[in-house]
Amino acid sequence: MALLKVSGLSKSFGGVTAIADLDFEVPEGHVYSVIGPNGAGKTTLFNMLSGIYTPDEGSIRFLGRDIVGRLPHKVAELGVSRTFQNLQMFFNMSVLDNVKVGCHLRTKSRLWNSALRLSSTRREEQQAELWAREALHFCGLDDYLQLDADALPYGVLKRLEIARALAAAPKLLLMDEPAAGLNDTETKAMRKLIRRISDTGITVLLVEHNMGLVMDVSDRILVIDYGSRLAEGSPREIQHNPKVIDAYLGGEVEYAV
Amino acid sequence: MSYLRGFYLLTITAAVLPLIFPDNYYVTVVGVTAALHAILAVSLNLLMGYAGQISLGHAGFFGIGAYASAILTTRYGWNPWPAILAGLGLTAVVAFTLARPILRLKGHYLAMATLGLGIIINIVLVQAGKFTGGPDGLGGIPSLSLFGWSVDSDLRWYIVIVSVLLVVVWLALNIINSRSGRALRALHGSEVAAEMMGINTTATKTGVFVLAALIASLAGSLFAYQQAFVSPDSFSFFFSIELVTMVVLGGMASTYGAIIGAIILTFLPELLVVFEDYEVMIFGAILMLMMIFLPQGLFVGLQHLLRRLTRDRRTAIDAAEAGESGRGAA
Repeated sequence: MALLKVSGLSKSFGGVTAIADLDFEVPEGHVYSVIGPNGAGKTTLFNMLSGIYTPDEGSIRFLGRDIVGRLPHKVAELGVSRTFQNLQMFFNMSVLDNVKVGCHLRTKSRLWNSALRLSSTRREEQQAELWAREALHFCGLDDYLQLDADALPYGVLKRLEIARALAAAPKLLLMDEPAAGLNDTETKAMRKLIRRISDTGITVLLVEHNMGLVMDVSDRILVIDYGSRLAEGSPREIQHNPKVIDAYLGGEVEYAV
Repeated sequence: MSYLRGFYLLTITAAVLPLIFPDNYYVTVVGVTAALHAILAVSLNLLMGYAGQISLGHAGFFGIGAYASAILTTRYGWNPWPAILAGLGLTAVVAFTLARPILRLKGHYLAMATLGLGIIINIVLVQAGKFTGGPDGLGGIPSLSLFGWSVDSDLRWYIVIVSVLLVVVWLALNIINSRSGRALRALHGSEVAAEMMGINTTATKTGVFVLAALIASLAGSLFAYQQAFVSPDSFSFFFSIELVTMVVLGGMASTYGAIIGAIILTFLPELLVVFEDYEVMIFGAILMLMMIFLPQGLFVGLQHLLRRLTRDRRTAIDAAEAGESGRGAA
C-alpha cells in the first residue's frame, strides 16, 4: 500500500518552474530516495510534502488523505516528520529539550495545566523525558544529553535533528541530505542509522547526494531533473539506466556499491 | 522540582527583608516599585526572552489595566476587585485581536508595530480626557481591601505586590519548564522546525502575547490602587523601553535575570540623584553596552562566565593528568 501518493504536482516561483507535473508513490516501510542535480527541485518537493509550500497544482495524499493546503503542524499531526538540509536546531535549548520538543504531538498539556503544574502535566513531563532519552539513545547521543545544542559539532547536530524527528514517532520521515558535510566515518554511521530507522517500520523519504549511501539504503529511487521525473526504479535499475547516467552522472558511473 | 530552587530562595528573601528592615524606605517603598517592575519584566520576558517576539509597547497593557481600574472605581463606583477583572477582560480582547496581525511580523517590523501600539494606547489615555482625565491624570482611586483587611500601609502593599510577583514567577517558571515553554523557546530557535514538530506557531505566539498582556494589566491595576493616582506619563513609550532594558540587562530568557534587571533599574535612580536628569540617556547607554558586551544579560552572562572559569580549570587539570590537551573530539 502506498503511504504517500503524489500526483500531478507542480510548483513554480515567479515563472521559474521548480516542480513540473511530478508523480510518484512511496510504499509503506520503504526507504525511498529522491536524487537529482542541485536545483532539480528536491528541497522544494520536501517543502511541499511538509506543508511549508503550497503546490500550484496536483495532489499529495498521505494515508489516503489529501494534505495539500494543510499547515506544517497539521501535516505533522498526521505522522510526518522531517529533518532539514540547513540545520534547523533550537540552538537556544539543551540537547534533551530539543528532542523533547519532538514529543510535542505525543503530549497534550496546555498552557494553563503547565502553569499550574497539575499532576497530569508532571506525569506527561516524565513520559516526554523518557521518549526523548530513547530517541537520543537510538541515535547514539547519550553522551550529549545535558549539553546546549549550540555546543555540539556539526556531525552530532545532524544526528540530533534525526533524534528530534524520531521523538515524534512519525510514520513517514523526510530526511533532507542527512549525510551532507559528514566525513566518511560519520557517513557510514548515518547509513547504519537510516537502516535501523527503516527496521523500526518507519517509512523514509530521503534526499541525498552521496550516491554510495543512496544506492546502499534505498528500496526505490526517483530521479528528477528540472522538476520532473527522469527515471524511477530499484537502485540497480537506476544505475544502469542510460538516461540517468547521461543526464545526471555525466556519462560516467564513478561510485562503487 | 529542581528549577524551583531559586524560587524558594526568592520567597525567603522577600519574606525576611521587611522583618530585618521594618519601615525601611528602600524595602517597603522602592521595593514595592521594584516588585511591580519585576512583574512586568517577567511577563515581557516570556514574550521577548523566551518566545523571541519583541514588544516595545508593553507599557500600553500596563496602562489599560491601570486606567480600567481607575476609571471604573472613581467614575462608576465599582468595587476594586471586579474592576481588576474588567481590566483583564479588556486587555484580553485588545491583545487577542491585535496579536494575529502584529505577530505575523518579524524583527524590526514587529518592533515598529508594537511601538505603534504602545504609542496609540498612550495617546488614547491623553486624549480621552472625559474618562481618563487627560494629561492631568486621575486621582482619588480607592485602595484594595481583602476580607476587611485594608491595604493601607507601605508594608501591606509590600505584602500584596510581592505575593503577586511570587505567584507570577512561579507560573512563569512552570510554563518555561513544560511542553508550552519548550514550544515558546522552539519558536524562538527555529519557527519552521517548531511547526514541523507539530507546534501551532501562530496560536503559541498569540497565547504568550495575551498572557504577557494580562500579567501587565494586573500589574497596572495594582499600580493604580497603590498610587491612588494615575497619569499617562507612567505608561509612555519610555516606560516600555525601560521594561525592555530591564529584560536585556538582567538577561533574556531568564526569569531571575528579568527580576534582577527590574531591581537594578528601579534602585539606580533612587541611589544616584544625577540619574533623574539623564534617565533616558543612561537606559540607552545600558542597552547599547549590554548588546555589545554581554548580550545574554547580567544573570546568564555571569553564570556562563563562572561556568567557563570552573570548566577551564577542570579541563586544565584533566589535560595535565592525561598528558594531552583539550577535551578531545566531542
